[in-house]
Amino acid sequence: MAAVTRNLPRMQSMRKWRLAALCCALSAAACDRDAESTAVTGGTIVVAVAADVDALIPPLVSSVQGRQVTDLLFDRLADIGDSLNTTGDHGFRPRLAERWTWSPDSLRITFSLNPRARWHDGKPVTARDVRFTHQLFQDPEVAAPLAALLANIDSVTAPDSLTAVFWFRSRSPRQFFDAVYNLLIVPEHLLGSAPRGQLRGTPFARSPVGSGKFRFARWEPAVSLEVVADTANYAGRPMLDRVIWTVSPDFTTAATKLLAGEADAFDQIRPELIADIQKNAALQLVTYRGLEYGFLQFNLRDPARTTLPHPIFGDRQARVAISMALDRAGMVRNVFDTLAQVSLGPTVRGYVGADESLPKIQFDTVGANRLLDSLGWTRGAGGARARAGKTLAFSLVVPTSSRNRGRMAVLIQEQLRRLGIAVEIESVDNAAFMTRMKDRSFDAALGGWRLDPAPGIRQTWGTAGSRAPGGTNFSSYESPEFDLHVDSALAAMDPARAHGHMRRAYEVIIRDAPAVWLYEARSMLALHSRIRPVRLRRDSWWANIAEWTIDPAARLSRDDVGLTPTQ
Amino acid sequence: MIGFLLRRAANTLVVVAAVATLVFGLIHAAPGDPFAGSLDNPNVTEEVRARWRAAYGLDQPLPIQYGRYLGRLARGDLGWSFSRQQPVSAVIASSIPRTLLLVGLAITLAFAAGVGLALAQARRRGTLFDRVASGTSLVLLSIPDFWLGLLLLLLFSYWLPIFPVGGITDAVEYRHLDATGRLLDRLHHLALPLLTLVLAAAASVARYQRAALLEVLPRDYIRSARAKGVDERDVVARHALRNALMPSITLLGTSLPALVSGVVFVEKVFSWPGMGLVAVDAVASRDYPLVLAVVIVGTIVVAVGSLLADLLYLAADPKLRDA
Repeated sequence: MAAVTRNLPRMQSMRKWRLAALCCALSAAACDRDAESTAVTGGTIVVAVAADVDALIPPLVSSVQGRQVTDLLFDRLADIGDSLNTTGDHGFRPRLAERWTWSPDSLRITFSLNPRARWHDGKPVTARDVRFTHQLFQDPEVAAPLAALLANIDSVTAPDSLTAVFWFRSRSPRQFFDAVYNLLIVPEHLLGSAPRGQLRGTPFARSPVGSGKFRFARWEPAVSLEVVADTANYAGRPMLDRVIWTVSPDFTTAATKLLAGEADAFDQIRPELIADIQKNAALQLVTYRGLEYGFLQFNLRDPARTTLPHPIFGDRQARVAISMALDRAGMVRNVFDTLAQVSLGPTVRGYVGADESLPKIQFDTVGANRLLDSLGWTRGAGGARARAGKTLAFSLVVPTSSRNRGRMAVLIQEQLRRLGIAVEIESVDNAAFMTRMKDRSFDAALGGWRLDPAPGIRQTWGTAGSRAPGGTNFSSYESPEFDLHVDSALAAMDPARAHGHMRRAYEVIIRDAPAVWLYEARSMLALHSRIRPVRLRRDSWWANIAEWTIDPAARLSRDDVGLTPTQ
Repeated sequence: MIGFLLRRAANTLVVVAAVATLVFGLIHAAPGDPFAGSLDNPNVTEEVRARWRAAYGLDQPLPIQYGRYLGRLARGDLGWSFSRQQPVSAVIASSIPRTLLLVGLAITLAFAAGVGLALAQARRRGTLFDRVASGTSLVLLSIPDFWLGLLLLLLFSYWLPIFPVGGITDAVEYRHLDATGRLLDRLHHLALPLLTLVLAAAASVARYQRAALLEVLPRDYIRSARAKGVDERDVVARHALRNALMPSITLLGTSLPALVSGVVFVEKVFSWPGMGLVAVDAVASRDYPLVLAVVIVGTIVVAVGSLLADLLYLAADPKLRDA
């Protein structure tokens, strides 16, 4: 490390010169707009992450880490606004597309590309790239994880090099969202000749070329990945010089990196870390609204014979009794401290149709006891409940990867024990947990969903998700009334109408209690205090990172590394 | 000697084949498949997952998968890693040197430190130093590697920020350093994981070696050496130690597997991207080809360690050589 520290005086000296120059410029009050911009550009942000990226070619990406990197390297035609509106094109901002027009029947959107847009290798971005990207996403050989989200796009045509036309199968409020949100445009001239089924083995997969404000610099798998500013980008250079992701699979190590100043950003905040961050003057804790909610999920089908209802949870009244027996507010406070609040239902606050006035099953242990008694689950010796010789007991499956859910499981076990219900906690690793969910091989489970801007409630709680092979409605909850309202809400062009139907759908599912809605996570990002973040979007805090700046007076040695001539 | 080596190589092949078969069965019997993790995204359809399984041959019956695996293995092809998205051989090639560096240095330093401490203790047996050293060794021996690693991490990276928190190089500045700077940066990052492994292994060596030395020191030839006026330091270091080394050589053979397994946790704690970290990730993500490769490489390393121990036996004990 001596060599590093040997370089520090030079860097500090450079920093002093830079600061001196800045002071002169400010005191003279003569700096023009360019000079001001130069004064705040530069700097490095090191992000500590728990896992490496899964892929760097957008159609193949499914992990959060992969999204973070590809979102910076590649461009969409338009960016979703900070409100995350998905209806029509309201709030969307031009990116690769300068403008767009709708056909009179709304089945066609024509995007006019920015003629200055260039790939990082200097080639122009054309409509052929847009058409190619769509083909890639929909090619079964590629098996893009999110291909299903583009199902409503029939085709994309390129009448000229700067015009891309999206043709839709049907009118939908989310047409525009479908066309832009998941479609990060990739270069045809670099991927066009690659075998579709072997994209992961191409050189591009290791060294991608995008059109975003950051360019790929290097990737050492399982160690770190670096992107640097594309200073000649058509949309302007990013304020930062570089972003580096360092992989630390162990939470303690990642947290220590943050606390010791080796990392600048960390988003896996646990309650026990908050006090240390708040005590550390070099760190700031930025809170933003999250899109995650967690729940105690009941299997409504008998795991042994899935055609039959579950012996306990097949009965709505029993599910309601358990919901009433759980002090959700106390549990959430105990487990999450201030990092979560009690969930409203299968949604998060701020989502369409969700508001604080949704009905809830109140915490009422007296009522829960009475309800269970009325169902024939009566207390025997030792207080345990039984009916017709069968004790009221079930297993609760929890993924070992989530410490919060593990803690929550213990609290649920204890609260239900007081009610005379025996809960056996089964902690299994994530792969086993998800397989048990898929196979419906569980009584109850502590689950969670991270939502997209567009609600996926049809897949997670609708009949389609229950019956489809490998569907993700693991509870097997089926309600025609719920489905009807969800379908109506998702098809409604009028926001007020969509809101009304969605609210009704939430009321139905809360009444039917296929799950106890436990918590809605409040997202937190720990950042070094020299960083000035701009607009943390709920779905991706990194979305506007190109606009973030580093306080010039508080730069560290890593901020002064600068961009080498080749970068 | 050549016959001996050939026999050992043949034995190793049989052991590797048996272990690979056993692990192939076990990992496939474990609940969960490599793509189960995508179930946490409701937008990924079962059709897509089925395509992924088909692409990697996981839709085939297990005996066919096993047969194909053996066929590829015979051609030296370890397969494609689902989780790392690159050939398994590339993953192993990049990670094994890092682990060998860590384990190799740890064994060398641990034996040097352990034998040195044992010598010092034997020469001062019964003194306060001996008792403190024995107690410390016992404590270090009792602490799990990962916990010791976390303690050292908190102590030397957070409370006393002397060493970096993890990784193998500085993520930002390494590429901007000269050759000397890069070497020092690597050593700086190596220090804590190495110290963790060395402390635990040295404690074990010291305890065995001390006991062996104390057993040898009352022997007649030692008394004779002393009677001839040989300096006490030479008595212990040259006469006693040479005859008391056998337990340490035995320990070398057994400590290699222990270090190989211990390094799994140490690499995770220090984000050291070696075989241990690869193993943890591979098991968690049900990356079958990678798990099998890690097990095969681990088995070979252990077999080589055992062979080295046997060769050292032969070198150290003339009676064995003659036999």
